[in-house]
Amino acid sequence: MSRVFVTGMGIISAIGDSVSANRDALIKGRTGISDLTLFPTKYAGVLPCGEIKTTTDSLKEKLNAHEHGVTRTNLLALHALREAIEDAGLSQQILTSGDTALTGASTVGGMCLTDELYHDANKSDNGSEYLASYDCGSVNIYLQSRYKIGGIINTINTACSSSANAVMYGARLIKNGLAKRAIVGGADSLAKFTINGFKALHILSDEKCRPFDNDRKGLNLGEGAAFLVLEKEEDVAGKRVYAEVTGYGNSNDAFHPSSISDDGDGPYLSMREALNVAGINEHEISFINAHGTATENNDETESRAMIRLFNTPPPFASTKGYTGHTLGAAGAVEAVYSILSLYYQELYPALQFTLPIESTGLIPQLSYTSASLKHIMSNSFGFGGNCSSLIFSKS
Amino acid sequence: MLYIHQHTCISPQQTFADVDIESLKESVDNKLKAFEPAYEGIPHGILRRMGKAVRMGVGAAIPILKNNAAIDGIIIGTANGGMEDCIKFLNQIIDYEEGLLAPGNFVQSTPNAIAAQVGLMTKNKSYNITHVHRGLAFETALIDAAMMIKESPGSSYLLGAVDEISTYNFNIDYLDGWYKKETVSNKDLYGSQTPASIAGEGAAMFLVNDKKEGASAVVKAIKTLHTQDEEALKNEFKKFIEKTSFTNNESVILLSGENGDNRLLKYYSACESVLPDINTIRYKHMSGEYPTTSSFALWLCCHILGCHQIPAHMNKKAKKPEKIKNIILYNNYKGMQHVFAIVGNCE
Repeated sequence: MSRVFVTGMGIISAIGDSVSANRDALIKGRTGISDLTLFPTKYAGVLPCGEIKTTTDSLKEKLNAHEHGVTRTNLLALHALREAIEDAGLSQQILTSGDTALTGASTVGGMCLTDELYHDANKSDNGSEYLASYDCGSVNIYLQSRYKIGGIINTINTACSSSANAVMYGARLIKNGLAKRAIVGGADSLAKFTINGFKALHILSDEKCRPFDNDRKGLNLGEGAAFLVLEKEEDVAGKRVYAEVTGYGNSNDAFHPSSISDDGDGPYLSMREALNVAGINEHEISFINAHGTATENNDETESRAMIRLFNTPPPFASTKGYTGHTLGAAGAVEAVYSILSLYYQELYPALQFTLPIESTGLIPQLSYTSASLKHIMSNSFGFGGNCSSLIFSKS
Repeated sequence: MLYIHQHTCISPQQTFADVDIESLKESVDNKLKAFEPAYEGIPHGILRRMGKAVRMGVGAAIPILKNNAAIDGIIIGTANGGMEDCIKFLNQIIDYEEGLLAPGNFVQSTPNAIAAQVGLMTKNKSYNITHVHRGLAFETALIDAAMMIKESPGSSYLLGAVDEISTYNFNIDYLDGWYKKETVSNKDLYGSQTPASIAGEGAAMFLVNDKKEGASAVVKAIKTLHTQDEEALKNEFKKFIEKTSFTNNESVILLSGENGDNRLLKYYSACESVLPDINTIRYKHMSGEYPTTSSFALWLCCHILGCHQIPAHMNKKAKKPEKIKNIILYNNYKGMQHVFAIVGNCE
């Protein structure tokens, strides 16, 4: 089975609309979490979010995306995908080739258009222009038709671990010889649906989220998109290679529809499986980009699972304090951050942290520093007990 | 090679218990609704909270998991998951102006709730994933299962698909022109000569692994494609068929996803023209149209390859082959997403 390398990256999030802008914010410890100014909801000014301060209309102009029924989620995905394929230098001919795959993730799809969906789902006349845009698959179907991508196209939804699974699926397509290259990632935009859903579960914080802090009050939702270009070893000669995708694991916690078991069985098993696939032991992990949503349940169970697996965990941090929780995009967004750390051999500070969780005592990485990094693990856990871990290695 | 050892199906036809597909159940108001069983084996308290998609999915999975609790993963395809719960929650958001809401519908509405619920009920902590790529959600799940089997020889998976008719997705697809304006019975579906189809729903589940012995069918090849160009489709279908090693057409039939939508006939004609001498059968008058009907089609393949009986109502070009050894499936969803597959018997 062929080795798989990352040759291109693209990202848009609350901390910037390019890979370099995101890195700059990470180095400076600049959060993107703020009061909502563009997104219409009763919770604007009440619940801070990782909102991208570019209007949907400006994104349409910038991307020349005036197709019928284009949604904000489509636009964020297109923005990140375009940067990734330009970065990797994929030509139109390569994109159209039958061995170029696209595996993306989304949990919101076109449901960001809550009011339009409400109208279309409940009425039987005068449909809006978005009738074909609500489902999760609509995002990658749009990207496919825009670039005529010729290989296997897929969309995955395992809630908050969706795009980690999209990275995993794309890497496996290459290893199984079903694609020579895969564009992998995810996109989600803010939606009344998710804000009210997480609000109903009482896990949204009314202040900037504090991952792994003893006094954390919950998560902030965010929006964003990120894509990686994965290519097989034989095809990367002469190209800039950011990292190698060496490990991945997917497990189910099988405990509760919306929380993780006390001992973090799912997280433990997905991290262990990723190590098995990478063929390395736990002491070789240089850093963990934790899921770290800043909910009571996640940070404590993830800490327990890290202690269970590593005994003394390596340096770790969550970047949710920068971007908020970008749901179906989170795994891909954090894959980009993990790869930036590897490529530039540097670690970024965790934000809004003061006190370690009493029962675990773990303290995340708190300052920007250069470091010698070989293997970075990135965790994503979701509702339904869906846990996934990825390992990227210095190439 | 992906071998199928067990197959279950909850559908608008009598496919779950005492299988009888000779007699055709009829559609009502352009909908073919699933006949749901009593769901023995799902605790009542849990059953009550399940939406229809989760219920059908878990219900179809239980007979398989009863004898195979230690499977190595749960791989589900669903375009929409629990759409009914999803819009119920959305309606509350709007109707109560983002007031205090109960989270039940929100948690049930995420498409991964089906695979998650199966994992939860069977305490299965292994690989668990949900593919949602609209009309190819089941196909990408099947490709996933085939890769897993190749990566871990000897492993077994629950592979399946579910989609439901909810009032809401019916409205959305109706407005978008995918369900017929005039009332058409499923018995007259292919003669309607008008745009659009009729709605369907169902769940099909399979136990799959790499063991030939005792298998009821094998998926020999699968290819997915995104295009709206029937010539490109025809070329890809030709290439797909040329790669197979069929020496004659005697024991091969084509299972077509034709759905009574006169706008999509050109795609089915294009594929049929590649195989002019082959017998063609159809299934959408049994299942209705929904994004994961190919899972119903795969269940049918397993059934037909096992009993060598094809109900007369399925025939398009009749001339029953002596013994069916291979079934070529062609389906398309909304004239954009296509699949070709070859399902064979294991003799």
